[in-house]
Formats: sequence, C-alpha cells, structure tokens
Amino acid sequence: MSIESYNGGAVMAMAGKECLAVVCDKRLGARLTTIGMNHSKIYEINPYLYVCLPGLATDALTVYQRLRFRVNMYELKESRKISPQVLCSMLSNLLYEHRFGNYFIGGVVAGLDPATGKTYLYAMDCLGAITIGTEGFVTGGHCEEQLYGTCEALYRPDLGPEELLEVASQAFLSACDRDAGSGWGAFVYIVTKNKVELKSLKARMD
Amino acid sequence: MFKEMQSLANAQMTDASPHKVAGFYPYADNGGTLAAIAGDGFVVIGGDTRLTTGYQIYSREASKLTKLTDKTIIGSCGCWCDSLTFTKGLHIRLQYYLYENNKPISTNATAQLVSNMLYQKRFFPYYVSTIVAGLDADNQGAVYSYDPVGSTERHRYRAQGTAGSLIQPFLDCVLGRGNQTAPEPEKLTKEQAMIYLKDAFMSAAEREIGCGDFLQIMIVTPQGVEEERFKLRKD
Repeated sequence: MSIESYNGGAVMAMAGKECLAVVCDKRLGARLTTIGMNHSKIYEINPYLYVCLPGLATDALTVYQRLRFRVNMYELKESRKISPQVLCSMLSNLLYEHRFGNYFIGGVVAGLDPATGKTYLYAMDCLGAITIGTEGFVTGGHCEEQLYGTCEALYRPDLGPEELLEVASQAFLSACDRDAGSGWGAFVYIVTKNKVELKSLKARMD
Repeated sequence: MFKEMQSLANAQMTDASPHKVAGFYPYADNGGTLAAIAGDGFVVIGGDTRLTTGYQIYSREASKLTKLTDKTIIGSCGCWCDSLTFTKGLHIRLQYYLYENNKPISTNATAQLVSNMLYQKRFFPYYVSTIVAGLDADNQGAVYSYDPVGSTERHRYRAQGTAGSLIQPFLDCVLGRGNQTAPEPEKLTKEQAMIYLKDAFMSAAEREIGCGDFLQIMIVTPQGVEEERFKLRKD
C-alpha cells in the first residue's frame, strides 16, 4: 500500500453551464482504520476558487498552508484576486519544487469566472503535472478509477446547478461506495455566479 | 494477487539457490472486461474482445464469452491460457453430465460446478475472473461471479476484469440505486439492460486502455441465445 493511499479519501470537480460542483468525501483513515468522519479535502481560496488536496493528510495541510501564503503574497503584490489559471500554475510549481522528495498528494483546482460564467478545471499529480479538465470533470484520490467510470458514464455537458448537484452527487457516491478507502458522506460545493451552496451528503458508513 | 504470486515464486527461487536463476512465471495478465445484467425472463452478458499483455495488443477479436447450453453463458478473462483451459475442461464436464443425466445442465448447477472446478485448483489456481450468466429454473435471469479460487455469489448485475472497477459503480448507480430515494421507474427491460451495458463499456473504453475494440453481447431468453457486436474505441 503506497503512502499516498494511507489516509484514503476522494475528490471530484464537475462543470455545468455557468456553474461548478466541487465534491469531496468525509473519511480520514489510517490504512484500514477510520479515524475521522468529518474531514474535508476542499480548501476555499475565494468563493469562486477551490483547491482539493487528496492523498496524505499531513502533506495536504502543509501544502495548503504554503499555498495560502503564496496566494496571499500574490494578491498583496498584484492588488487583485488570483485567477484559476495562476493558482493552478502556483500549485504545480510548489509541487514540482519538491520533485525529489515529493509531497504525497494530488491536486484538483476548480474555479468559476464570476463575470463570464466560464469554468476552469485542472488536476495534477504529486509532481505537479497538469491535466486540463476539458471533458467537464476532474477526479483525484483513492477511488479515482471508480470515479472515472461513473463520471464518464453519467456526465452530460451544460447542466444547470440543480441537475449538476444530482449528477455529481450520484457519480461521487456510487464511486465511493465501491471503495473501502473513501466514503462516510460527502461535501458538495455548488458554485454559481451569485451564490455558493455547501451541501453535506449522507452515505453508507462502512 | 498476481503480483503477490510472482514475488512468492521469485523468493522461493532466490532462497533455494546462491546463483541467479530465471524465475518461474506461470501466469500472464491478458486483461479483458466482463459485465452481466439479469432481469425478469432474460439475462445479458457482455465482454470486450481485446486481448493484451502490458501495453501490447495481441488480438482485437478474442471472444471471452462461451455458450454452454441454451440457457447458460460463461465469460472468462484474466490469464488467457487459463481461460481457454478452464472452459475446455468445463465443456468436458458438461458433456459427461449430459450423457449421465440425459438432460442439459441447469444454470445453478453449472454455477456450482464452476465454483468446484476453480476450488479444485486451490493451490495452483486458474488466474481467471469468471461470470456465469443464465436463466434459472423459473426463467429468471441469474448472474454468478467468481474469484480465481471459486468464491462465488449470485447477483442481479456484476462487472469483472480490467475495467470492472469502472463499470461496477455505474451499474450500482443505475440498477442498484442505493443512493436514490425516487421509486424504481419501471421493470427493467432487455432493451434497457442492453443500453446500460453499451453505455458502461463505451465509458470504460474511454478511460481504461485494457478495454476496447468490440463489445460482444449475448442475450439469453427462454427462446434461446442471441448474439450482438458493438464497436468500441480501438486506441
């Protein structure tokens, strides 16, 4: 068992028409033992921009703190909000700086432009290699395979916020239910131009 | 399990001899994906026709499904040579059954026989994932799945093999409906089951390189077995 799957956990982001769903599970484990049932993997950069850090929880916290520091410095220097593209590069660079002796996490960046409604999805591996989520969804974490299966089959383009919540939740819960390392419910952020909703989903608890 | 077996074989070799000797690798992983859905008066089973070793494609036309009787189909994937040997052995056992009992074997008897035959090789197993799909005595669809040593269970639907982990949660969502409060829409039809099966394999072929080329589907009804082929991605 690799150290990247020591704590388990899964994340997913899905884009709709001028809206965005960012999802993570609630489990925190130590190999097969569940030690936390309310552990979010989603970090809010600003209400339109989220970063998910699945993998080794201790590294996720460290990387978030260092990323937060860099974002704060960027916004002070530039006197403007950070964009999804810049945040993605910033996280990618941060991870690649530790090319030899890496953090054991993945990275998912999901953002919405409040002016145009355009969505931005990125995923990266532990060394910062970026995948752009042109298909409309990105995944990460312990049950990535299952998530790819459900997302690929259930996703449709240009969903509205309500439909997106349903599709994203179904895809995520079905995938988590077939993985012992993830589950215990899910947090879903539904981001639209003028509103952010945080839903807490119940799921199987085994 | 495959990796564990290989490392075990290697450990035994290196421990026994101070010299470097070639390891004994009796198994290969040739991939393949199977999925089956049972309903009232029918069962559909699908398998991709891609045969691989690592990143190499041996064949795009290797059928993983075998018709055993007018009511029973077996799908077998994993180590291709073991699949062939196992189905050949099974055919022989079914012929004996026919001669001794003067009637074709039932689906649930086949299911038990397959389990027994796999367990007979408990300490040098056939490295195969198996699904037996057929109609039971009441003409209800039945799907049985197996691990390499014969552990078995009857399901309503099941996916196995390389892309099994991608397909199973999708089938859970549309057929198991464990996370849905809305009532079951209507009784599952053969046509709807076929659509789910095609959807599942198309999605899996999109993301899993071990799955692709063609989807071979066998449809079992009281009238007999029909076969259908469906194109998948070839890259």
